[in-house]
Amino acid sequence: MVQYSYFPGCNLKTNAKGFEETAIAVSKKLEAELVEIPNWNCCGTVHTMTSDNLMRRIAPVRVLSRSKKHIETLGEDTLNEVVTLCAMCNSTLKIVNHEVKEDQDKLDTINFQLEEDDEVYDHDMEVKHFLEIIRDDIGFEKISKSVVNPLEGLKISPYYGCMLLHPDEAAIDDVEMPSVLEYLVESLGAKVVDSPLFKFCCGSYHIVDEEKIVDTQVAKIVEAARSRGANALVVACPLCAFNIDHQQKILKEKTHGKEPLPVFYFTQLMALALGVPIKTNHFEDHHVDPKPLLKELGLSGSKKSK
Amino acid sequence: MSKIKTKPKEENKTPMVKIYIMGAVHEVPASLTIMKAMEYAGFKITRGAGCRAGFCGACATVYRKAGDYRIYAALACQTQVEDGMVLTQLPFVPAPKGKYDINKISPTANTILKFYPEVARCLSCNACSKVCPQEIHVMDYVQYALQGQISKAADESFDCVQCGLCTIRCPAEIPQYHVATLVRRLHGRYTMISPETLEARVEEIEAGFYEEGLKELMNLSEDKLRHKYYHERDFIDQKKA
Repeated sequence: MVQYSYFPGCNLKTNAKGFEETAIAVSKKLEAELVEIPNWNCCGTVHTMTSDNLMRRIAPVRVLSRSKKHIETLGEDTLNEVVTLCAMCNSTLKIVNHEVKEDQDKLDTINFQLEEDDEVYDHDMEVKHFLEIIRDDIGFEKISKSVVNPLEGLKISPYYGCMLLHPDEAAIDDVEMPSVLEYLVESLGAKVVDSPLFKFCCGSYHIVDEEKIVDTQVAKIVEAARSRGANALVVACPLCAFNIDHQQKILKEKTHGKEPLPVFYFTQLMALALGVPIKTNHFEDHHVDPKPLLKELGLSGSKKSK
Repeated sequence: MSKIKTKPKEENKTPMVKIYIMGAVHEVPASLTIMKAMEYAGFKITRGAGCRAGFCGACATVYRKAGDYRIYAALACQTQVEDGMVLTQLPFVPAPKGKYDINKISPTANTILKFYPEVARCLSCNACSKVCPQEIHVMDYVQYALQGQISKAADESFDCVQCGLCTIRCPAEIPQYHVATLVRRLHGRYTMISPETLEARVEEIEAGFYEEGLKELMNLSEDKLRHKYYHERDFIDQKKA
């Protein structure tokens, strides 16, 4: 089994436990195990746009350096890669990694702070999102061969959000025509429903002080998917997940509107299809409960396990 | 701290060093700790001294060494003086302290952020860990607390003596040692597995299992009690063991 040095990020331990636990479970099933860095720190989000604010870049560089040390304890096949699940962490780490690789002066200044901790970074790491590992290392063929419960009846609209595709340094796929989530959903036996709003802003941090902005965005995103026949959405970002999941519930109460669509992390869909026990999904943390839909489609029990 | 007297100079065979206490030069025996050296120099320490054994954390000290740009920190009762040392003591560290009822909060990251929102400002610069006289990975436990990994944070911060040096050094102005107290309380109250044997014993006590024996002891005369204590008690004789 290939092992990967895995960086969780704070959300995976708090609001998105189901994302992390399903990811680890499926990674083992697919023989590409995610092993958590024992002493990881904040990824440094939100990435500062002030190019000379190096203080705010110490955290991501320290992550890269600690991951490198972690890799030394893993299997021989482990490459110099740190794998993320959260789209936000992925973006921050990728951008900073790119910046310090381009600008040795910046890295030297940051390393001066890391020197005493014996955590100097040698610009020898790559940041990968788990979706990239799925596409480039594991392959969709292997995934479809591992499916024990095909997700028949699920009509899923992939929602990428901004962080997986922007900016260029952080993009994991084509900016205008991404396909990784589509291929993944298909290989799990579910139907893909394309939506033009696949990266329409979810409202992001406005959830903290301007909820109405998020309401408007979420209503449009969900309606675009629903009107094209989707019965669920799939995401890779805990903030998108929270906004779309939580605000649909609020919108429903406010407008007595249509039934909300459940929001899945891509790893939850994989876990369902690969026969991972359903409790791993932590559906109790979801605001729109996906269980009724799964029950209706006969997908809620792990019938067979491999 | 007040200066009460200066020791008269006399012939002294012990090796001496020159140190600068709050800028003023003093000659003190090289074998002393910072705390003892200050007292030798005539300072009466009324605040910032406690157990004098490295356990209580009352005597946080900052100093510089001759020809070294770094600022060092330590416990005054645990650190030997060096020639050319420039030092002072920190009798108190002002730090905001959250007020909470431990039974009304939950062991989550949101609880930490409610009482110590500064935790989210952590830059991962590790200045706190570098300064810690207990060599605790302070930044790591602050991060675990932020991540909601309460048990991990409690374990990592276990040796904290609350000297407050981390708090003085933090560019994000986090009161780390109060965060540490909160995570350990949460861990003790919610996430730690309570030992079965202890619970069984508490049940025994509450059911009155020991009442009779205690009553019997209470009614004994002093002589009989003495006899029981020194001759009948079941204990290991250290000399024979």
